[in-house]
Amino acid sequence: MISIAVSSQKGGVGKTTVSINLAHAFARAGIRTLLVDADPQGSVGLSLTRQSRLLSGFYDYLTNPSIPLDRLIVPTRLETFSLMASGQASDYEAGGGMGAHLVRVRSFLSNVSARGFDLCLIDTAAGLFGVTGDVIASSDAVMVLQQAEPLGIRSVPKLLEGLNRLRVSNPSLSVLGVCLTMVQHDLAESTGAAAALRQLLPPTMVFNAEIARDGLYVRASARGLPVGSMEDGAEAQKVFDALRIEIETKLQPANSRHSTYRS
Amino acid sequence: MNPVSQWIDPVEVRRLAEGLMMKTKAPAVPVSLADAGFDADFVGFASASPLESPALPPQIISPPTPIAEAPAEPARPEIAPTPSETSFPEKMLRFKDWMRHHFDATDLFILDREGSVIFDESGHGRLHFLARSLALTSRREGAPVANVHMKIAAGSSVEIIPAATTHGWLVLGAVVSKALSTNSIASVIAELSKLSAPPFPR
Repeated sequence: MISIAVSSQKGGVGKTTVSINLAHAFARAGIRTLLVDADPQGSVGLSLTRQSRLLSGFYDYLTNPSIPLDRLIVPTRLETFSLMASGQASDYEAGGGMGAHLVRVRSFLSNVSARGFDLCLIDTAAGLFGVTGDVIASSDAVMVLQQAEPLGIRSVPKLLEGLNRLRVSNPSLSVLGVCLTMVQHDLAESTGAAAALRQLLPPTMVFNAEIARDGLYVRASARGLPVGSMEDGAEAQKVFDALRIEIETKLQPANSRHSTYRS
Repeated sequence: MNPVSQWIDPVEVRRLAEGLMMKTKAPAVPVSLADAGFDADFVGFASASPLESPALPPQIISPPTPIAEAPAEPARPEIAPTPSETSFPEKMLRFKDWMRHHFDATDLFILDREGSVIFDESGHGRLHFLARSLALTSRREGAPVANVHMKIAAGSSVEIIPAATTHGWLVLGAVVSKALSTNSIASVIAELSKLSAPPFPR
């Protein structure tokens, strides 16, 4: 199994939207995918399951690892796509010292792997500390989302420093790269910021696929659906399929797709 | 005009980014695979049960290599002065007793500037690895070196205290029931500096 943390330095960059739709793209491709909501705000659950506030989830497991995973995993209409809400203990302190939850996060991922999933995609809370830090320090890979606006991109040095620190705890962590989100092609400041980031970072560190700011995501969220399931979601789905392929290439450029997910 | 270049240093950002793309090097100090992996049976972090303190005799592995002199820092409380001919193991035992008496500290260990263990009563190689990692990750260019601590079990934290001594930077690790105050840290650093002051036995 491959575990990928979806992270960002700042909040409000579209992490939950990308996590849901990227996980859906993997699942559509036949990869048994578990999307875990590790954001105490519980946005994945709120987006996709109406009863999410009643569900136990990831933070309940951190509180009590003896809870069977079967009680936490929520199947969807797509056989290869399952969810885990953040849970009833999601007012859990997201900050705090690094390492406090490391053993339990690793135990969690080990148990998810044992359940037969190929991919565990984890939507984390913003920042690189506390539980989020432990999730990244336990994952095989991390992808970072960056809103295409100048102020957010100025935080990139801090983001890179944070990732370098986390690699001390997790030397095998693969940094998949930065994905630009909320790109507004009709706004020069947004496209300029995106271009500046591409100029700033090594080309291999910025995903080619970009996520545009689009009302479609708001409508999809309101209906509790991934964009690919919307009547007019085909173009957006192509973007997430492209992102999926880029990730697969980065994870194992030389081998076949399925060997990527087998341990 | 580039909207971000005047705010950040592109060379530094590129250096950080390229560092992330590289495979990480093996630690400078040999570390067992189990230590490096923090595997599931690792008792150091967030275990439900308190960290066990095996009743091992203190083990002096090697003295640190002397380098340039550094002034000792004033602090209270202090260990009573020892004769100049007192050996390092004797000084270390006095220091250990002093730490236990004043701060209820157990499982002491000291690493030298290369990360090698020069004193250890913890018997936990994983704590040494944790100390190296914390000392490394808490270091900021241009900022003074400071202590760090991390909760490792219910009612237990590991306190990591770097100190400049006449034998270079030493890193003291100790398991304590609560984080030490700023004054306590200053006292510990001062005593650690005196501990390694010459003459240093071979």
